[in-house]
Amino acid sequence: MSDILIDDRIRDWVFLPIIIVMFMIQMFRGLLTKYMDNKKTTQKVTSKAQVGEMIDKNITQQSQRLARLHGLLPDHSFKMKRAHLCDNKSGILTKASEKPAKDPMQSMSMMNPAAMADMLKQNLSGIVFMAVQYQWVSYFFSGFVIGKVPFPLTQKFRSMLQRGVDVQNLDVRYISSISIYFVLLFGGLQKIQQLMFGDDNDEFVDDTQMQMQMQMMGMPTMPSFGQQNDPGKLFIAERTRLEGVKHSFELNKSQDKAIKSLKRFLIQ
Amino acid sequence: MEEPKVELDDLEVNQERLKQNTNQLKNLRVYGSLNAGMIAGILGMDGWIGMGIYVVVFLIVSACLAIKMNFRVKEYFKSSYDAYYSGIGTDLLLFLMIWVIFHNIVNIL
Repeated sequence: MSDILIDDRIRDWVFLPIIIVMFMIQMFRGLLTKYMDNKKTTQKVTSKAQVGEMIDKNITQQSQRLARLHGLLPDHSFKMKRAHLCDNKSGILTKASEKPAKDPMQSMSMMNPAAMADMLKQNLSGIVFMAVQYQWVSYFFSGFVIGKVPFPLTQKFRSMLQRGVDVQNLDVRYISSISIYFVLLFGGLQKIQQLMFGDDNDEFVDDTQMQMQMQMMGMPTMPSFGQQNDPGKLFIAERTRLEGVKHSFELNKSQDKAIKSLKRFLIQ
Repeated sequence: MEEPKVELDDLEVNQERLKQNTNQLKNLRVYGSLNAGMIAGILGMDGWIGMGIYVVVFLIVSACLAIKMNFRVKEYFKSSYDAYYSGIGTDLLLFLMIWVIFHNIVNIL
């Protein structure tokens, strides 16, 4: 395939504007999420079903913390805590695991207006921007070749990368403008935005990135609480995990560890 | 990099310092892949040689990290695999994006 010469004006009026506009929109989205985050107040727990879910969540958190940090407790203390949770008759986990399985409809907790508003806001700041940018790019900049990818690709990518360009024999390397949109989208304008916004935004941007990936894979975004259809099984699993924990108090090993670390320091 | 912390066991490792170190490492890797994309794009590399540039720059970043730490990995990260080799795939798409952009701007358009 002979080389195609692309007009300078395509670079000036198509390539660079797409990049600049997408970058600006990404920065704007970052500022928007930061602003909305500041505005968000803690939700009040109102309905009885929600109280029940919070109790379940706290119970699971307590048992997981105990299973993870058991080394910090001396023997009798750990045994007491474990009995409090796992006792055959009066332990919290055994009582909780006898609850009936919840209705899937109820456990989605879509009835809660605050949670729905939250989900709507997150969807808004994600999908709407993506859709708007896609429409803009495909409306204004369709039907011509914009550039070339540096690596060879198979024919299967032709439909994705050369949308709107109907020349059959054109090298798959020549791409249309919608493909530069995809490259920018997947490539990670978010990472560059992270670099610019600094460290305190890191965890939040990771969440939105994860959620975007989940949305793009087609899974619905579920709220983080109340999504277990059968809490009984979860509690039974937690209980077996706790009962299988081999407990040893870390303080017993502390002398050996101190000797080891002192040796390392002295020898250096 | 934060001051060295003595690593004894799993319970003592989880500190704010390890988190800060890994964040710094992540930022470093993003810079590295940005630079790799610019190099590959401006020089007009094609195909697999470009991917080779990405790996080479990644290893250079790891080598500079090692020199900065004075080769004492254990004091800053959990393991040498973690610090040097683990995140090679995460910034690959970023490299591709920068490579495509610069290749187009410099060589074709």
